[in-house]
Amino acid sequence: MTKNNRYPDVVLIGQPNCGKSTLFNAVAGLKADTSNFPGTSIKHTHSKVNVEGSIVNIIDLPGTYSLNPSDPAEKVALSHLFHEKPDLIINVVDASILGRNLELTLELMELGSPMIIALNMIDLAKKKGVEIDIKKLEKLLGVPVIPTIATRGQGIKEMLEAALQTLGKSPSVTPIKWSRDVEQRVEKLANLLPEDFPPVYNKRFTAIHMIEANKLFFDKVLREINPKLKEDLDRVRRELEDMHNAPSYEVISAERHHLALKIFEESSRVFRGKRVKFQDRLDDVIMHPFFGYIILLAIFFGFFFIIFKIGNPLEELLLEPLTSLRNFLMLKLGENVFSYLIDGLLAGIGGGVAIVLPYFVPLILLMSFLEDVGYLARAGFLMDTFMHKIGLHGKSVSPFILGFGCNVPAIVSTRILESRRDRVITSLLIPFIPCSARTTIILALVAFYLGPIWAFGFYTFNILLIAILGRVISLFFRTPSPGLILEIPSLKMPSLKNMLKKTIFQMKSFIKFAWPILVAGSIVLGFLQYLHFDRIINIILSPLVEKGLGLPQELGVTLVFGFLRKELSLIMMLQALGVSYKDLMTVVTKEQLVVFTVFINFFIPCLSTVALLWKEMGKRIAFLSIGLNTGVAVILSLIVRLILGK
Amino acid sequence: MISLLQAPSDVPLRILGIQGGHGIRRRLLAMGFHKGDTIELDSMAIFRGPVLVRNLTSDTSVALGRGIAQRIIVEIIDEK
Repeated sequence: MTKNNRYPDVVLIGQPNCGKSTLFNAVAGLKADTSNFPGTSIKHTHSKVNVEGSIVNIIDLPGTYSLNPSDPAEKVALSHLFHEKPDLIINVVDASILGRNLELTLELMELGSPMIIALNMIDLAKKKGVEIDIKKLEKLLGVPVIPTIATRGQGIKEMLEAALQTLGKSPSVTPIKWSRDVEQRVEKLANLLPEDFPPVYNKRFTAIHMIEANKLFFDKVLREINPKLKEDLDRVRRELEDMHNAPSYEVISAERHHLALKIFEESSRVFRGKRVKFQDRLDDVIMHPFFGYIILLAIFFGFFFIIFKIGNPLEELLLEPLTSLRNFLMLKLGENVFSYLIDGLLAGIGGGVAIVLPYFVPLILLMSFLEDVGYLARAGFLMDTFMHKIGLHGKSVSPFILGFGCNVPAIVSTRILESRRDRVITSLLIPFIPCSARTTIILALVAFYLGPIWAFGFYTFNILLIAILGRVISLFFRTPSPGLILEIPSLKMPSLKNMLKKTIFQMKSFIKFAWPILVAGSIVLGFLQYLHFDRIINIILSPLVEKGLGLPQELGVTLVFGFLRKELSLIMMLQALGVSYKDLMTVVTKEQLVVFTVFINFFIPCLSTVALLWKEMGKRIAFLSIGLNTGVAVILSLIVRLILGK
Repeated sequence: MISLLQAPSDVPLRILGIQGGHGIRRRLLAMGFHKGDTIELDSMAIFRGPVLVRNLTSDTSVALGRGIAQRIIVEIIDEK
């Protein structure tokens, strides 16, 4: 049952939007230990789960439409299947679009590995008027089928029990045969595979994937290593093509399509309900050529309005006691190394609680709402035209919107883009999107001191800048973008529980990773101040900070630390200037505040973003991004200073 | 035989074929768009934006850029 004494690996695999991650979260809630590899090594999430005394390792793979990947995210799923050979596959199926989802199911069955099906979102299917006979479906497929509603945690226990049972028996799955003429050709090729040819999973699967393979590269390699087999393969492909008058991969895909539809029709009854009409009408408004954009704008404004309205009073409320405590301690302890360190510690802890979290938490919560309800794809549809103007298309919209939360997952999500060109441009633009850390700075400085209208102006300008940069960057690419193919999933009522879970997860990772950096940074600054070492850094940077940007010299050191975490600059700014948040305007002018915000906002992406860019896109892109951001930050803040300054 | 871009909206259409490179064809196949499927043109975005296509056979909706919609060849299904 276990390989090399490890816990058995169980993978969750399914098409995009089938509720796989929600299911995973529900499973991980039962937990033993959940880990997510943030930043540099995000490949998949896994969780060790204790099911009635047996521990299994559950792995969540990115959604994939088929086992013929066309974007990097799908390749992750496929390479995991091929390299790790999981002990059990849980195929998560969206019951509301069963016909299409079964195409992947049939493809997975070709692997012959032990497998069960989680028939998810049966509630949504019912609403759509689709009634599925589960016993019949089980019989037609020959694979255990367990109905689940992941958002409500229904069926999770049963699914895990079935998984455990199947793991115990490890029965192989028998793939369903296709129509005779196609099946014969596949068999013929499978039998022609030489004995020493390393099959992937089994000979039939290998033969199918050879026929389907992306022709150019694969064929070239095969011709080199086994010309005889290449000839056989070509003959089989030709026969299939002649019979069906379509490329061979299309013939095979059509076989699965028709088989999937047949199984769907035999196992389900469809009644067209009224509720679907309501959803359709809602969608007609959301994607309306006029109202759609009004709604999009309203959501965008509402978003930041809510965050500001929640964050601002909270911030004031929490900062009060902290400031008094710091003043009190300073008086009590006097000027010595101890008091500097304590003050740094308090500034770091307090900054996290009072300045970052009040804005961060509502932002993440609202973001997961937009994501779960299915709005991101609709925004992609609406924005496609405008994205074309900057050399991209609508699929980049969802990474961009995610970027407002945090740039790191946004860059990971560029994996859904098919072409490298689109990925490079999108990844270079994402660091210009004000993430939650920078939103905190903009709201805490610009909106708080200068008024919300300034913050609004800042955002508008920011988006305009991204558009201009996109236009410029895409000039360097000759190949045009391949164009938009984006599934619009049905609107879903998001579950509050799932949204909260995601928010808590993000908050935990903030507390675990970012906060210690904030605290450590503040303490280090306290120590540097005690040693007066910060002055040396400030003097070195003064040509830029003082002469160039017209900022107080003391801010030099905070800019350096901003590379670690953007919020750090804000917290350290107060510490460096030696004032409390309330008295900030006594030491800086409005103009300086704006210049500082502009510089911090666009200056060099934070450390985690750079690390991830390096990992995902390569060294060149990472350095390009640093150069681009720093260059833009310097030029813009100089311009802003000239415009605002006397 | 017309391209999807020339087709009227809210009328059932049958896919006769998809022109263009392997990349696009494979992508559309994987997303459940096959020859013979019944689809419907739902709406078009402004300023030559994408089109929203509903696949009635697999009950899914997909947004397609104009360049791609143009390559999908369809015929109007006579309901009578």
